[in-house]
Amino acid sequence: MADLRADVVVLGAGPGGYSAAFRAADLGRSVVLVERYPALGGVCLNVGCIPSKALLHVAEVMAAARDLAEAGVDFGAPKLDLAKLRARKDAVVAQLGGGLAKMAEQRGVRVVTGTGSFAGPQRLDVATAEGSVAIEFARAIVAAGSRAVQLPDFPDDPRVLDSTSALALDVVPQRLLVVGGGVIGLELATVYEALGADVTIVEALDRLMPGPDPDLVRPLQRRLEPRLAAIHLRTKVTAVEARADGLLVAFEGEKAPAGDLFDRVLVAVGRRPNGDRIGAEAAGIRVGERGFVAVDERLATNLPHVFAIGDVARAPLLAHKASHEGKAAAEAACDLRVAFDARAIPSVAYTDPEVAWVGVTESDARAQKIEVDVARFPWAASGRALGMGRSEGMTKLLFAKDTKRLVGAGIVGPHAGDLIGECALAIELGADAEDIALTVHPHPTLGETIGLAAEVAAGTVTDLYLPRRSR
Amino acid sequence: MAEREIKLPDIGDFDGVEVIELLVKAGDRVAAEQSLLVLESDKATMEIPSPVAGVVRKLLVGVGDVVREGTPIALLEVEGVGEGIEPATPAVEAPASASPDASPQDAPSSADLAPYTVDAPHPAAHAGPSVRRLARELGVDLALVPGRGPKGRILEEDVQGYVKALIAQGGGGASVPIAGVHVAAPVDVDFAKFGPVQSEALNRVRRVASANLHRSWVTVPHVTQFDDADVTELESFRQDHRAEAEARGTKLTFLPFLVKAVVKALQEFPHFNASLDRSGENLIVKRYFHIGVAVDTEHGLVVPVVRDADRKSLFELAAELQQLSEKARARRLRPEQLQGGSFSISSLGGIGGTRFTPIVNHPEVAILGVSRMEWKPVWRDGAFVPRRILPLSLSYDHRVIDGADGARFTGRLAALLADLRRILL
Repeated sequence: MADLRADVVVLGAGPGGYSAAFRAADLGRSVVLVERYPALGGVCLNVGCIPSKALLHVAEVMAAARDLAEAGVDFGAPKLDLAKLRARKDAVVAQLGGGLAKMAEQRGVRVVTGTGSFAGPQRLDVATAEGSVAIEFARAIVAAGSRAVQLPDFPDDPRVLDSTSALALDVVPQRLLVVGGGVIGLELATVYEALGADVTIVEALDRLMPGPDPDLVRPLQRRLEPRLAAIHLRTKVTAVEARADGLLVAFEGEKAPAGDLFDRVLVAVGRRPNGDRIGAEAAGIRVGERGFVAVDERLATNLPHVFAIGDVARAPLLAHKASHEGKAAAEAACDLRVAFDARAIPSVAYTDPEVAWVGVTESDARAQKIEVDVARFPWAASGRALGMGRSEGMTKLLFAKDTKRLVGAGIVGPHAGDLIGECALAIELGADAEDIALTVHPHPTLGETIGLAAEVAAGTVTDLYLPRRSR
Repeated sequence: MAEREIKLPDIGDFDGVEVIELLVKAGDRVAAEQSLLVLESDKATMEIPSPVAGVVRKLLVGVGDVVREGTPIALLEVEGVGEGIEPATPAVEAPASASPDASPQDAPSSADLAPYTVDAPHPAAHAGPSVRRLARELGVDLALVPGRGPKGRILEEDVQGYVKALIAQGGGGASVPIAGVHVAAPVDVDFAKFGPVQSEALNRVRRVASANLHRSWVTVPHVTQFDDADVTELESFRQDHRAEAEARGTKLTFLPFLVKAVVKALQEFPHFNASLDRSGENLIVKRYFHIGVAVDTEHGLVVPVVRDADRKSLFELAAELQQLSEKARARRLRPEQLQGGSFSISSLGGIGGTRFTPIVNHPEVAILGVSRMEWKPVWRDGAFVPRRILPLSLSYDHRVIDGADGARFTGRLAALLADLRRILL
């Protein structure tokens, strides 16, 4: 006997899950949203994107204030009230979470708090604080997200952090080791560096931040290097020993440093989808080895009435991809003829400077044998960037040689993440270099660099002198 | 050695096509482009080639299976490094990297993030997200929709217009009632009452042909113009050059001469090489000369198309016609070899009969039927002389072509066949 019945049950209330639930409700379905934590919003809202951005904003303003000393304005050393900062971050999270709960109520979406697990092809059991609740459903949308990868052999010690505990901001350690030079590691390194920690980054690969082209990461690395204690590439952590006076870390690699003592070690080596934690076998849902639930373009799993979205379905593990997939899956679950067919999904590292990219990168183009024309506009030629004292930025556009249309873009510099949306729109609409170049961009802005990079591609730029490209 | 799953490539405008023959078995070594299996669609059979060389480990489909684009058809042990990597495979199992919520240390190369990149090598339809969504709702393949926005961009109106046109044509598999036509309901007779009978299902080729012929018969006002061509000289010229053709490995039949003469006549009468648009208000005159040639096969009638017949020599036409008819009989024509015709020829000369009235191959506007050539006494200069006479039957769409032009066309064609040197004039 089922305790609840729903047209659509959504497992997980992250950005993908709540979008799916709300959309299905708006399409007139009875919806039950299952979430293991009391707050809606998932990792992104509670322990991911939102709190990290609240802190990164603080870090950015602190860095800008510090930079102003060169411009003749010295604020002196900042005074940090960690409890107040934490409270501000928590207030942002609480405000958004409260908004979600309110919207769920307004839509008549029933929220069940507890850990859900499939008990059959049409049944989900939820372990709640009040006991087990059985939900019978016609359609299910799995939005169970992902979790931080733990490294084996690391001690079970409160001083070993993951992104969640790092964002809790209990303390600003004197010496912080960040294991993993990817986006999450670099963002948190940025926060803790600004707050005064001595940050060391260790990365197994030969570069920071795989994903975007190296030329987009270089300005970030150049800015980080003098601010951080050290960046060790091609280096692995071989042992972490918990001692009373700190965590003793041993390294391995060509240029590995000697063992060293840290107050905290943050592990940011990736995330793993939660496909192994949803009771998939009981329903007969196919889950791949790495824990992703395989889906088709409608987001349907091997069971036609069960859909999967977001981190648990496939890469990239990004909130904005999840919420778009969530809507598409909700519509598919309501038998609308839809699919998720976005041509490009932007990625942003909210570091300082920010790194943002969308569509194909130059290395993708090489790997996929797509012939592209690459146009770069250095921010050193942007009056606005110079005025901000941030000439290290760069805007790069990739146009397919055959169609002339934009297929990829990369931006490094402050607010790159806010700028990349225009490039995503241009890719979706099939804009070519002339379309972008002939679109009047306001001056002087950072966004103008996109129009100017397109002018470089079109051969009409006058803000740079490129003798051979002119037509 | 890497194992690679071979998926059915884009096979054109077909959804759900039957496998009728397997050309390889497990353990076979195949070259790149070697055919793996044969599919039968509404109109044609097509061979599906292997994209790479390798050894067939396992076939994933059998005869009778219905497949569509993307259906896995075989597992291949691929030879050579790197060849097993499919370009831009949607890596559903791709590990996460390059994202605020994703990995660093065990990070994969960025190529693993392929699922959402733009596939520029096969330029996707030039249409924005909302138009793509609309097309999906309506089940429209955007590759078939002409874009009328700037730079060929497909707009919402283009999708709507395309669907309206389909409905108007009764195309896309749908059928539309034709106003004003009332016929008695089909009779349902139990023939077994009158004697032993046997029911045979029409094969696919015949079912499709039947629907097309019926549409043409009902919607096109047909007129058939008869004429005779004196091909005495042409026939002796052909006989004289048969040996030369055979030396080149082709059989010089009469058909290539007919194609040549028809193309010349079409160039002089361009309205015979045309189609009415769907509104019926505009004539689309084609600047190309793709000639369909009806081929009788044991599975039914098929009409492969000789492209750009105006640019081919007699020997080239002879060789191509021979090849097309062999392929048609072996059910090995590809869909594109059956599309794009601008005029058709149906020859029953090899079988017999004096005249027949062919049905116009809609949306073309005319079709030439030829029957068996015969020695006939022809009154010439006060005496009967024996001449080889070829009977011509030209059916045309009277909405486009007037009777006088019909007679002029066949007259001109007969003159060209009587003395092919006129083509040079």
